[in-house]
Amino acid sequence: MSRDKIGVDQWVEQYDQRVSRAKGIQGFIEQTSRRLPVWGWLICLVVLGALLPVATTNSFAIRIAGNIALMGILALGLNVVAGYAGLLDLGFIAFYGIGAYVYAYLSSDFTGIHFPTWATLIIIVVVSTLFGLLLGSPSLRLIGDYLAIVTLGFGQMFVQLTTSLTRVDLPGRDKPVDLTGGPNGIVNLDPLSIFGLKATTVVHYYLILLIVFAISILIIYHLYKSRVGRAWRALREDELAAQAMGMPNHRLKLQAFAIGAAFAGFSGGLFAAWQGSVFPSNFDTTLLITVYAIIVLGGLGSLPGVVLGAVIMIAVPDILRNAPLAGTLFYIGVIVTLFSVIKPRWQAIVLIVAIAIFGFILRAVLVGANPDAFTTLKPVGALISDTVRSWLPIPNNAMVVGNYGFAILIILVLAVSRIKRPLWRLAALVPTLYLLLFVWETRLVAEPSITRLLFVGVLLIVLMIYRPNGLLGQRRVEIA
Amino acid sequence: MALFELQNVSKHFGGLQVVNDLSFTVEKNEIVSLIGPNGAGKTTILNLITGLYKSDAGKIVFDGHSLSGMEVHQITRLGIARTFQNLRLFLNMSIIENVMSAAYARTHANWFQIIARTPGFWKEEQRIRQLAEQKLAFFGERLVGYRYDQPAYSLSYANRRRLEIARAMMTEPKLLLLDEPAAGMNPKETQEVTQLIGQLRNELDLTIILIEHDMGVVGGISDRVIALDHGEKIAEGSYEAVATDPLVIEAYLGRNENVGRK
Repeated sequence: MSRDKIGVDQWVEQYDQRVSRAKGIQGFIEQTSRRLPVWGWLICLVVLGALLPVATTNSFAIRIAGNIALMGILALGLNVVAGYAGLLDLGFIAFYGIGAYVYAYLSSDFTGIHFPTWATLIIIVVVSTLFGLLLGSPSLRLIGDYLAIVTLGFGQMFVQLTTSLTRVDLPGRDKPVDLTGGPNGIVNLDPLSIFGLKATTVVHYYLILLIVFAISILIIYHLYKSRVGRAWRALREDELAAQAMGMPNHRLKLQAFAIGAAFAGFSGGLFAAWQGSVFPSNFDTTLLITVYAIIVLGGLGSLPGVVLGAVIMIAVPDILRNAPLAGTLFYIGVIVTLFSVIKPRWQAIVLIVAIAIFGFILRAVLVGANPDAFTTLKPVGALISDTVRSWLPIPNNAMVVGNYGFAILIILVLAVSRIKRPLWRLAALVPTLYLLLFVWETRLVAEPSITRLLFVGVLLIVLMIYRPNGLLGQRRVEIA
Repeated sequence: MALFELQNVSKHFGGLQVVNDLSFTVEKNEIVSLIGPNGAGKTTILNLITGLYKSDAGKIVFDGHSLSGMEVHQITRLGIARTFQNLRLFLNMSIIENVMSAAYARTHANWFQIIARTPGFWKEEQRIRQLAEQKLAFFGERLVGYRYDQPAYSLSYANRRRLEIARAMMTEPKLLLLDEPAAGMNPKETQEVTQLIGQLRNELDLTIILIEHDMGVVGGISDRVIALDHGEKIAEGSYEAVATDPLVIEAYLGRNENVGRK
């Protein structure tokens, strides 16, 4: 695309030469990544993603990867609504649910209808878009918090209705009719079938989701870089000015809402096919929080952010279920965090050595005083975890002590965050981190379901402090 | 017939009458300045014209269309664009995107064209990109080249004002409303802005309504000056006539009590 060089003076022309460039391999990667078009990135994503089933036959890993792609598609839709248009839509999951239930209605014995997959998917997109318009056109006149309340109500309504519409009197029927299957949901759904090929294994679904994810990113990117995308962002930045520049605010918001609903519905349909069943509990608030966490974590409005956010939010909680893997990741995470947060670096090394010495001394004192009160934990089969386990003094009633330790840990963390002097803070970190390791080994690693929630909470808090715009979000200012 | 006409327009907020039975006309290709002390109702008039406020009484006519009951963006489509006194840029968008976004009403790429990136889409995109670059080039070399892709928040105050004018120009207005375009600028920049407003009128055949406190700007460029106080017109005419009008002096400085006693 050639451009007229209007008003380009020498200083402007030489801009490229004045910008410092990294040399060597790093420079090559930087240059290439800057020039690579979006579809280039997406081909990389799909090719790398498609290598996973080749590299491993572990269906657990492939299931996680498929889940990442599925949540990625869902988050892309929310990214349009919340990230681009700036609408706080808390009923977003309802559209996902609508997509899933439409799939269930059109491909199961529950209704006796078995449509071909392509027809079902088209109907899903149409229906969820219509619902988006239906909810959007009255409620988008509301601003900010009010929109959030109304849409939250809609999301709850969906779960309530799908749970309770089991005995509905319809005109022309003698007996009450079961419309949704209630809490037991609708089961035995037809699998996806494309060109006569049925998707039956995890790998099939993973590959389908991966490709749909890549295409979705491309579509959203194209919208982003267009008149509509610019208008959405303008609305988010300053609705009044956008109107005064000729942008029809209500219509644009409605379009964003409908696009979001369409993506949510589509991913809901794929979800229903993959799971082979739908239940009201699939669409509760936990999922809403997860999806919002994905886009906030990655950076609101950032497409690479959605990918990264989905990987972190979906993969890490699942990895936590696997104790040896979780332990290794945890310790690597702690060490990396220490080295990146504590400057200068030598202080981090001193800190780690100090914790080790502190641990040995504490162990010698405690075990020396009362050897009968201590025991050893079973090794989990990972080097770092087992080393730490043999180094920690583990009391006989590890669970109970771990609970107290957890409470004390929270107090210590709060206290450390209040200390202003760097050296004092460093010193205070020694017992705090020691206690963290203790609580991790005695308590957290044993209960992944709680740990994953803690992980999400801690992650978001740390993120809010250090990168308020998300991991890959652009810098945003709110000053007028 | 005049391009723009305000007929007996009134507006009150609660018990406060901000604009009171105000009428004036603006001819095509004219530069009209609204002056008056703070709180005289100048910005309120711009807000009434652009549809941000609805008037209580009276009629606003532009190019043969009555503006009453129209939405803000519809009024912009008719050919009225404005800048804001307290700068309302899309701060987190790039400079070129700020300007390009204002072409929304004049672009027509549909969903299919956008998603499939058809040749029609590219043609339109390229066209508005060039237009936007032209608008930015109006301000010399300040907003061009590497600056295109920088976020708007990186701009200085004076450049933000310039960008707002460029953005307003992108809607291809017939009538441009400038709300204190020289606020926060140094004397040299103020002079430049004055020149620029004249240039906009002459080269692009624009009609301009200007609100400005800097009398250098007002005197240097206005064809006609309308002085307001408490929402009422107190004087109208050439700059010299209005500036020496006793009512205007009184509105700005207050009545000199000592004059009567001597």
